[in-house]
Amino acid sequence: MASKLLQLAPHEAENHLELSLRQAFQLLEPKLRPPFPLKILTSDECPDLTRAILYGALTETHLAKTHIKHLHATVSDGYVLFVNLLARIVNELYDKLAETAKTQVLWAAGEMVDVSAVGFSGLLVSLLRQIVGGDFGSGNLWLCFEMVSLFLGKWDCLLEEDPLILTSALYNFLRLLADHCRATVDSRLDALKRLEIEFCVKMLREQFGLCLKFGRDLIRLLQDLVHVPEFRAIWRDLVSNPREFGVAGFLDVAQIYSMRTSSRYFSLRLTPEAETQLRFMLTHVKFGNQKRHQTWFASKFFCSPERETLIVDIVRFICCAHYPPREIIHSNTIPRWAVIGWLLKSCRKNYVEANAKLALFYDWLFFDERVDKVKNIEPALSLMVHSIPHYIELTHALLEFLFLLVDNYDMEQKDMIANRVSSSFTLLINQGLSRNLENLTSGEIIPPPLKEKLRCFLSDTRVGTAQEIQPSKTLGHLIPMEVGTALPEEHLTDV
Amino acid sequence: MSTFEIRYLLFSGYTSMLSIKDIVPAALNNITTQFILLDKGKVATEGQSKTCLALVADESAAVHFQFWGEECDLFKPGDIIRLTNGIFSYNRNHLLLRAGKRGSIEKVGEFTMTYVETPNISEMRWVPDANNSKKILLLGILEPFKKQR
Repeated sequence: MASKLLQLAPHEAENHLELSLRQAFQLLEPKLRPPFPLKILTSDECPDLTRAILYGALTETHLAKTHIKHLHATVSDGYVLFVNLLARIVNELYDKLAETAKTQVLWAAGEMVDVSAVGFSGLLVSLLRQIVGGDFGSGNLWLCFEMVSLFLGKWDCLLEEDPLILTSALYNFLRLLADHCRATVDSRLDALKRLEIEFCVKMLREQFGLCLKFGRDLIRLLQDLVHVPEFRAIWRDLVSNPREFGVAGFLDVAQIYSMRTSSRYFSLRLTPEAETQLRFMLTHVKFGNQKRHQTWFASKFFCSPERETLIVDIVRFICCAHYPPREIIHSNTIPRWAVIGWLLKSCRKNYVEANAKLALFYDWLFFDERVDKVKNIEPALSLMVHSIPHYIELTHALLEFLFLLVDNYDMEQKDMIANRVSSSFTLLINQGLSRNLENLTSGEIIPPPLKEKLRCFLSDTRVGTAQEIQPSKTLGHLIPMEVGTALPEEHLTDV
Repeated sequence: MSTFEIRYLLFSGYTSMLSIKDIVPAALNNITTQFILLDKGKVATEGQSKTCLALVADESAAVHFQFWGEECDLFKPGDIIRLTNGIFSYNRNHLLLRAGKRGSIEKVGEFTMTYVETPNISEMRWVPDANNSKKILLLGILEPFKKQR
């Protein structure tokens, strides 16, 4: 007797993906028991049999191995349909899955990795996205544990079949580890953190060339972990001994700044549901009518203080992974800068707010016209300009933060960073994206010290090829800017 | 799509969804519509059952909806709800949309729906058509109720 796939609340409608799987299972159930018929299936029959096997594998735990053997025997499409359906179940229904079904999903995913099924990477990404950063519930921690164990356990196979999936996993676990380290001392987390550290360190020490593929956000993520002994050691080597990592041409940690991180990484830390809702807000909700949608979003995704950490990932996502088309920009839809303003105001913890501002300005610090996109830097300036005059404190705070970053983020590269921020301003002005910039520089709107600094940046026009990053000639002076990251002792009290 | 999924989608297409602005009061359970729950009022009792008044809306209009019994606790603001065989009629001088004895509501989604809060069809005044007692006519829009919160 199969158990149920989903645990629906009494008021929830039936789901038609689940229905299609269940109906296929019920129809074909006799054919799912050995001995299996040996006749070749027609191309019409294969999809329904795949659905039936999938449903069986997820709901009949004691027969799951038989079902998978049946799949191996009958598969003719490289497991494409099976994997796609499994990924859809994870993307659309993970929260509603019965507990045993969740265990089976993880097991089936492992099986698909073992046979190098077509599309297994997409399935693994779907599962990674279901791990929620600030959620310390047992279900979520269990999923995190299972996934990091899977990546460690199937390391060789993954490295051979699709090394890029390991970079996606690295992004995830570096980010999750930072959140886990901030939690109050909790023994359930100790074993998990040890595995996360093991995976990340293994990637950084053994596959640094692969790690470089994800670009400058690697630095942003590593900075949040500088208080962890294993990562402090990695930082020491990155700064003083880059050759230790054995990648030809990698001579200086500052080289990583010039590599833009691909936008696909920024959706990794959002669940598909959060992504759908954000994109809906930025596409359909009218500016002025956003209050209810914002309240609903906040009560679902920032319901507890620890879960606020998601704000950092959402800000990065909005800047770099969501580009509204021209019709939307010129319509009455809520603009990106307004959503970011709301998110910044929603931060209750200082370090989250600081990290969110860093995420907002990150590409400003290293902007290079040849590889970077103006759309990634536009929201920050638009937010500063449109906050005048009603939210002028926000404009001040953002400008102050930006200048603080320029002076302190990387002391060795201060000039380069100042130069890049200057060209960011200039590019945006040249694109006509901020006609109201005069408001910032003239009048009494912002205090004189800030105004002076801003004038310096605006007059320092160096549009064109960005200066090459000069390698650091002295060792050991690259102190990662611990922007908003609390010292280890603070973690215990800062929850 | 499997044959099963196709059959399911065709079925949902047969029931015609009304926009809220097109709903008229009647003593019939024939309203099938979909809306998003905006606000819920306090839970009250009517006889033996719990009731709860709510503001719901779609892209065309808003309306006051009455939840009964268990429904009061299960649905949350932001839920997208499909009403089948519902009824839009007077309940103590208040024009309300509800599932009624023969209708049902279920949650079909969350968040991804835009809406308008005016016009609110519960705040419209209807009178019987002098020529045809079965029909009613829209007379005007009342002052909005002061909702009990």
